Amino acid sequence: MKKLWQNLRQFLLLDMVAGFAVTLKNFFSPKFTINYPLERTPTSPRFRGEHALRRYPNGEERCIACKLCEAICPAQAIVIEAEAREDGSRRTTRYDIDMVKCIYCGLCEEACPVDAIVEGPNFEFAAEDRKNLLYDKDKLLQNGDEFEIRIAERLMKDAPYR
Amino acid sequence: MTENNQVTLTINGKEVQAEKGTPIIEAARQNGIEIPHFCYHKRLSVPANCRMCLVEIKGAPKPTPSCYTPVMQDMEVHTDSPVAKKAQKGVMELLLINHPLDCPICDQGGMCDLQDMAVGYGSDRSHYQEEKRAVEDKNLGPLIRTVMTRCIHCTRCIRFATEVAGVPEMGATGRGENMKVGTYVEKALESELSGNMIDLCPVGALCSKPYSFTARPWELEHTDSIDTMDGLGSAVRVYHRGGKVMRIDPIENNEINEEWLSDAGRFSYDGLGRNRLTTPMLRKNGKLSECGWPQAFEAIKEAVAKAKPATTMGLAGEQLSAEDLFSFNAFMKQTLKTDNVDARHDGSTVTAGPRAKYVFGGGVQSVDKADLVLLVGSDPRLEAPVLNARIRKNVMNNGLKVLSVGAHSDLTYPVETAENTAQVIEQIAAGEHKFSKLLEKAERPMIIVGAKATLARKDAPQLFHKLHHIADAYGVVTKAWYGFNVLNVSSTRVAALDLEVYPEQKGKDTDGILTALKGGKVDLLVLYGEGNTHIPVADLEGAKTTIFIGTHKSAYAHLADIVLPSATYTEKSALWVNTEGRVQEGKKAVNPPMQAKEDWKIFRALSGELGKALPFDSQQQLRALMIKKAPVLEQVGELVTPTWEKFGVAGKVKNEAFELPIQQFYKTNAIMRASQVMDESQELAEARKAAQQTKKAS
Amino acid sequence: MELPFIELLTWDNIWALVIIVLKVMAITLPLFGCVAYLTLAERKVIGYMQLRIGPNQVGPKGLGQPLADVVKMMFKEFIIPSDASKVPFIIAPMMVLIPALMAWAVIPFDEGAVLADINLGVLYLLAVSSLGVYGVLIAGWASNSKYPFLGAVRSGAQMVSYEVSMGLTIMTVILLAGSMNLSEIVEAQRGMWYMIPLFPMFIVFIISILAETNRAPFDLPEGEAELVAGFHSEYAGMGFALFFLGEYANMILMSAITAIIFMGGWLPPVSTPLLNAVPGFFWFSLKVAFILFVFLWARATLPRFRYDQLMRLGWKIFLPFTLLWLVVVASSMHIFGLVN
Repeated sequence: MKKLWQNLRQFLLLDMVAGFAVTLKNFFSPKFTINYPLERTPTSPRFRGEHALRRYPNGEERCIACKLCEAICPAQAIVIEAEAREDGSRRTTRYDIDMVKCIYCGLCEEACPVDAIVEGPNFEFAAEDRKNLLYDKDKLLQNGDEFEIRIAERLMKDAPYR
Repeated sequence: MTENNQVTLTINGKEVQAEKGTPIIEAARQNGIEIPHFCYHKRLSVPANCRMCLVEIKGAPKPTPSCYTPVMQDMEVHTDSPVAKKAQKGVMELLLINHPLDCPICDQGGMCDLQDMAVGYGSDRSHYQEEKRAVEDKNLGPLIRTVMTRCIHCTRCIRFATEVAGVPEMGATGRGENMKVGTYVEKALESELSGNMIDLCPVGALCSKPYSFTARPWELEHTDSIDTMDGLGSAVRVYHRGGKVMRIDPIENNEINEEWLSDAGRFSYDGLGRNRLTTPMLRKNGKLSECGWPQAFEAIKEAVAKAKPATTMGLAGEQLSAEDLFSFNAFMKQTLKTDNVDARHDGSTVTAGPRAKYVFGGGVQSVDKADLVLLVGSDPRLEAPVLNARIRKNVMNNGLKVLSVGAHSDLTYPVETAENTAQVIEQIAAGEHKFSKLLEKAERPMIIVGAKATLARKDAPQLFHKLHHIADAYGVVTKAWYGFNVLNVSSTRVAALDLEVYPEQKGKDTDGILTALKGGKVDLLVLYGEGNTHIPVADLEGAKTTIFIGTHKSAYAHLADIVLPSATYTEKSALWVNTEGRVQEGKKAVNPPMQAKEDWKIFRALSGELGKALPFDSQQQLRALMIKKAPVLEQVGELVTPTWEKFGVAGKVKNEAFELPIQQFYKTNAIMRASQVMDESQELAEARKAAQQTKKAS
Repeated sequence: MELPFIELLTWDNIWALVIIVLKVMAITLPLFGCVAYLTLAERKVIGYMQLRIGPNQVGPKGLGQPLADVVKMMFKEFIIPSDASKVPFIIAPMMVLIPALMAWAVIPFDEGAVLADINLGVLYLLAVSSLGVYGVLIAGWASNSKYPFLGAVRSGAQMVSYEVSMGLTIMTVILLAGSMNLSEIVEAQRGMWYMIPLFPMFIVFIISILAETNRAPFDLPEGEAELVAGFHSEYAGMGFALFFLGEYANMILMSAITAIIFMGGWLPPVSTPLLNAVPGFFWFSLKVAFILFVFLWARATLPRFRYDQLMRLGWKIFLPFTLLWLVVVASSMHIFGLVN
């Protein structure tokens, strides 16, 4: 009996009809598409976008060259060189991130003891040339200056869960 | 060791044997049980002030410090019982109260005892709510950077300065929370061993100043090597990153350096990267300009074609390995067919033959057993600071008596000094001097002869004949005891003599070469490596063509017409023969910079270009040939006590004083001369000397 | 020398020729427009069914998209692979497009609105529409490349297979209508559309035209996964555009045929005065549009068949089934005396 019913279903194309019904229903349902450059989806405070090096409100860079981000980076995308600055404080002389190697896992951000390196909200940093994706310290600090308000807001929102 | 000396006890339920008198912490360590500790160090005295090593001993009312408690028969020790753990946790919390949370900017981070112990034995919470303490940093000179807020008052540095280095300049002032470690008076440490405090400091309070912030322990690769700054050949570990040496630390070698290293060996590494020769150079229109290897070889070919073997001379310098010396010697004698070769640039005329006359035959370790030391023209503090620490240890522990003939600096222990003249040696030999009685009384007397101050003397053969006589007469060398030691400052000299890098037939030696240079009778001068400052560089001028094969852009390079860049000791795998005559292998840590090449490869290639190729194509072949020439080089790592044979020539010793062997401790070789850190240290040392002299004068 | 047929060159004949050319233009030019917008419709419909919105950037609501595509296609280079047989390679796209246009000659858009109202319209349609496969075969062969070749072989076998069941399905309609003239077939449906009595045949016909036009789920000749783009892998620019035009013109043609033989062509759904007042061309367009929608709907819904499944369906199911149904129709007509 079951077999008969199965054959009948097949013969009457009932499965197909069901399939057509699904697509027809979707035809009339609301669409998910976001018109990207004009509209944007909201991003989470934990969104991991383009990296930035932050500063303290007095303009002093936060990074203290502890190299924990370099150590934790699973893609080994970070290269840091450090020495004592004139005033004797520990600072980087070189802080490079290879954005092509980077897998955007956010471990650098988590390793940072002073919230210096962060993955900011920006994801629109595609470049026509690979060398433009090899970020140096200047570029990262510039990012930090550009997105500081948003980064600070996001860190504050995420702070209770850390 | 007899049965009576052993006791049996249980640690954590494990039955262990230990020698009577051993502290529990040491017995546990020998049996693979780790007890956390900060202040305890096996080479220092035991103050038991950090309290980290508290353990529970059955029957004891309270936890007991295991570093201070000797083992006893049937003792029952627990290091992981609730009582012991609570004690460790509590001590750790107290230690962390005033320790700042600045690990991210601390150079010790990643190799910090406090970090490790806190993770292993501490808690992640603290009851402490109040303000932390802050301490002003001390200025300990150009080598040690201090962050005294991090200090946990283990007093290891104080004990090291007082007990090992013999400069009781450090101490603690105040008590309780106000205790501060530092120099009593603000001044840089006056020790050639100060760098070891950095290793001893369990936290980041004392850090290496030149290494400051430059690297992290986890990103450094390391290679075991041999220190070549003095003749001891201390075991070191070269830490490097990306082809650059970042740090040099000693490693334990009980037979030579225990675990200490002189500041010269530890801090001179910045000279490896500064002012290096990186490409071959040719003199054009009076100026040296860079060129390629083929051009340099071409120029050498021309110069060699113009020069006769009789007017071709070669001088070898310092910090050359056995391979380097052997290939240089072969190049000069076989390819250039000249016998005018000398590696004894200090003008000494000692040759191979009985090895006893130029090696520290008893071995550094034998210092521990001696009961009297006679220094002849030797200043161990400057010639081999680590050896000096060893002598001092014996003086402090066993009351070793030290006698000295010759100039020396403050050796940090009491020394009985005779008049500084070689005649004293004659008197001792004749049994007429006050030292004679002392020598006679001693059971294991030792003579340490400073090679630099004695071998370069014109009357060296006569002097050594007398010394041989003394050794025989006072039992310095017997069947059971070998106490006749020659202390070389150079890491090169013993190998040079073993390999006969000097005129073997009738060639000119150093003096001869210098005379020839003055007379303008030298067509081709090959300078290999830099000597120390015995020969003024100006005296080396005068050859028609001068070739310099070396590592640094120094005065030597400036007087040369053709310059070939070679490798420093961290850039080649090589055999080094230390002053004991012990052969040790140093591994290659990094590549020579840019176009520089390993030395033996340069000589091999050059000999091929000149049509008389040296008979080796690899380092293995080279070593095989070398060992054929000097079989003693085969025993890597072993101390070969030389056979006691006759040496010296009978005759009168000149009535001359022994010179102070080292004038500028921080400037003894090319690497140190290129090092900025050594510059600063030398300046400081000289300023101090000047200050002392004015004080004396007033 | 006297030219042959010179006597035919009269003003009347020339005028008639001009009229015919104008009529042809009147059919083909809008058809191209339809094709262009069918591509947009396809992207939009499939987009909607996949919860997307499809192209919407060029012009209002994306209505300028087809024009942009046309411009793009025209300006792209027509690449001839060095190892291809050049002449067949160039002819093949035309051989696909031309039969697809030729068939439109016999399609009645409204009562009397037909270019050539011939009595054997159905036969003409079958004949012309099967010519398209030659273009595909030539394209596949001339490309001298393995994927186009395999695509062409598949296409040939597929079209041949499904023409059989298609022909047999049309036979049942011809039996009922008693004529092969398309206008007469439409008129015969005034009482009842044939899709009601011949519903199974209607379904078979719909499926067959999907296969005949190489559309999903039977688009094996251009199965991307295994054949890159099938027979037109090597084509670019206008060559590709012609294949494209041919495929979509074919789709519209097949929809028109379906509308005519099963859904009463230009006839309104119910014969009321109000609906009869609406021009027949409107009803015809509406029906064609519906069938085209089914084409796109099927593409959005069904996954591609496996080749053996395709063949099994054609030969082992459709062929016996349509044969059986033909016998049923014929015998029932005989029994109920409907034979005219």
